[in-house]
Amino acid sequence: MVRSGARGDHDTGPAPEALRLVKVTKTYGTGDGAVTALDGGTLGLARGTFTAVMGPSGSGKSTLLQCAAGLDRPDSGIVRVDGRELTGGSEAELTRFRRGRIGFVFQQYNLLETLTVAQNTVLPLKLAGRRVDRGRTREILTAVGLGDRLGHRPEQLSGGQRQRVAIARALVTEPRVIFADEPTGALDTRSAREVLTLLRQAVRVHGRTVVMVTHDPVAASYADSVLFLADGRLAGRLQAPTADAVAERLAHLGDDVTAGV
Amino acid sequence: MVVLAMRSVRQRPGRFLATLLSAFLGAAIVMTFHSMHDTAGQPGVDPVSSETLTTAAGVVGGYGTLLVFFAVASTLTVNVRQRAAELELLRCSGATPAQLRRMVVGEAAVVALVGAALAVLPAVLGGRLLLEVFRDSGQVARSVDHSFGVVALVSGIGITLLTAAGAAFLALRRAARGHRRRGGARAFLTYAALVAGAVAVCSTFAFSATDSALMAPPAYGSILLSVGLALMAPRLLQAVLDRLSPGGASGWLAVRNLRQRFGQLAGILMSLILFTAVSTATLTMQAVESEAVAASGLVKSVDAKNLETLNFTVVGIVVVFVCVMLVNSLYAATSYRGREFGQQRLAGATPGQVLGVVGAEGLVLTVTGLLFGTPAALAGIVPFTVVRGDAVLSEQLVGVWAAVASIGAAATLGTSLATARRVLRTPVVRAVAPAA
Repeated sequence: MVRSGARGDHDTGPAPEALRLVKVTKTYGTGDGAVTALDGGTLGLARGTFTAVMGPSGSGKSTLLQCAAGLDRPDSGIVRVDGRELTGGSEAELTRFRRGRIGFVFQQYNLLETLTVAQNTVLPLKLAGRRVDRGRTREILTAVGLGDRLGHRPEQLSGGQRQRVAIARALVTEPRVIFADEPTGALDTRSAREVLTLLRQAVRVHGRTVVMVTHDPVAASYADSVLFLADGRLAGRLQAPTADAVAERLAHLGDDVTAGV
Repeated sequence: MVVLAMRSVRQRPGRFLATLLSAFLGAAIVMTFHSMHDTAGQPGVDPVSSETLTTAAGVVGGYGTLLVFFAVASTLTVNVRQRAAELELLRCSGATPAQLRRMVVGEAAVVALVGAALAVLPAVLGGRLLLEVFRDSGQVARSVDHSFGVVALVSGIGITLLTAAGAAFLALRRAARGHRRRGGARAFLTYAALVAGAVAVCSTFAFSATDSALMAPPAYGSILLSVGLALMAPRLLQAVLDRLSPGGASGWLAVRNLRQRFGQLAGILMSLILFTAVSTATLTMQAVESEAVAASGLVKSVDAKNLETLNFTVVGIVVVFVCVMLVNSLYAATSYRGREFGQQRLAGATPGQVLGVVGAEGLVLTVTGLLFGTPAALAGIVPFTVVRGDAVLSEQLVGVWAAVASIGAAATLGTSLATARRVLRTPVVRAVAPAA
């Protein structure tokens, strides 16, 4: 693996490897009640790829995403985003690290109700003290099909439209990695398809790296590859997945683990 | 539905703490002063003592009731709004609006009863202390003993119960109507309060300088005017906000938040306006009164001093009550914003920036509260000073106003920032997780 070392700023150009996790562990609780959510996860994701992370409930997929995205601190191990190591620090330091490197799309959209579509989209730029380019904002929102809804509030939009605002917001800072946590979990199939297509476009057209946690084999089939997780460990990888192949693999995931594979 | 109400209170007592606190404090004040009616009604009380006691009970009991209503109403409005999801769930599960109303009003009644019951003992002690002050000032004969009887108990419990049920009913109706404006009733109340306030203030001139009741009309007038202005405040606040465009990200977000939430902030703004008006007006008037007594050449008698102490006690109770209400409703409103703060943090806000947003909001609220509270106070102070001291403005005003303004600002900013800091301790991921 190429170690890019300490880069001064992400503007010096993207690292070839967008995300790297080395032996990341995370345990919740202490004593008898302790639950190991992530048990030595090691993986590397190349720039410009779309990866789905799958596994049964409690397999540690959300923990993996939270540790990789700097939302939670792992107990041990190394997380590197765009060649820069994510070191433990105050929340303010982690926030500054995430700005410009990481974008989020959640099942619950997490748009601010008090802001309009356009204001929600530019919020990360405002908070980072970066220049807001109105033309570019409009361009991005038009690209996700909301060019005519700039002044609407989230409550006036459908679930699919809200999720597209969230994608626009994740794109506007031009982050190296976009993390999506069950982005289609609350959507009907048509809106889900639109959202997944947009995420794929973010990779193909804008060269972003997308990591998506999902439990839906159809959603996973939009990705370039699927990582399977079971009991906090990586339990396999599938390239160029189809929905059927993913479902098949998922159904037998438990077998592999009990067999100790 | 009443069974459901009982169960929901028992399962989540924490939620009702704010309402309980306002019901408790309100009931304590009302019962303390109304126990003077009981005391006056005892056999063998001389007419002079009886009159003093009844006047005190009538005056403070009167605006005490008004304050209790606003206090309980503001906490209940926050409470009902926070439970929008739960109420929606019940609606979807087949609860009719009437059933929901019974549940929310029932809960409020249960909480008010508990609050009033808890307030009985403090009110008995408070009543004794109050009578002690009256006796020491010589306004009430030494022989009169304190009595805590039917009037105090019935009025205390009755007023708390009725205001809580009424406030819950109004809060629910407002929540159900959503954003539609309740133009007619609100406008009527606003104008009624303003007109009644103006009349009360003007009637000050009908009194002579040495009338013992001189302080009552301007004090009432100030309170009524501040209620009227408080009812208008959300709209005026919006007008102010439309002209604000601060540069930083925190200020930008704060103005947008306030602009959307101005309806929800009405309760807090109302407490702040009432606090500013009531405390500035009454404290300044008392200071002017003391000065006038001193200026009349007489050596300050023991009686006058005691009267002053009594007035300050009464005013102090009311001011502390309004201040507690302000802190109470601000705490309730801020502690509920964990999810919103989490969303800001996910969008790239550092904890410092979130605190910056809360601070900027608090600042705008404080300034608006002072902006509307001060004229209401002045409207009462000026006629009083003119009649009592032959001056338009008292020198005392500046000092009192500065003290009131700093306490109001400290309470508003301190409460919201301290609460927000506490809320921010929740990790981001848990803060935005759908409510379990």
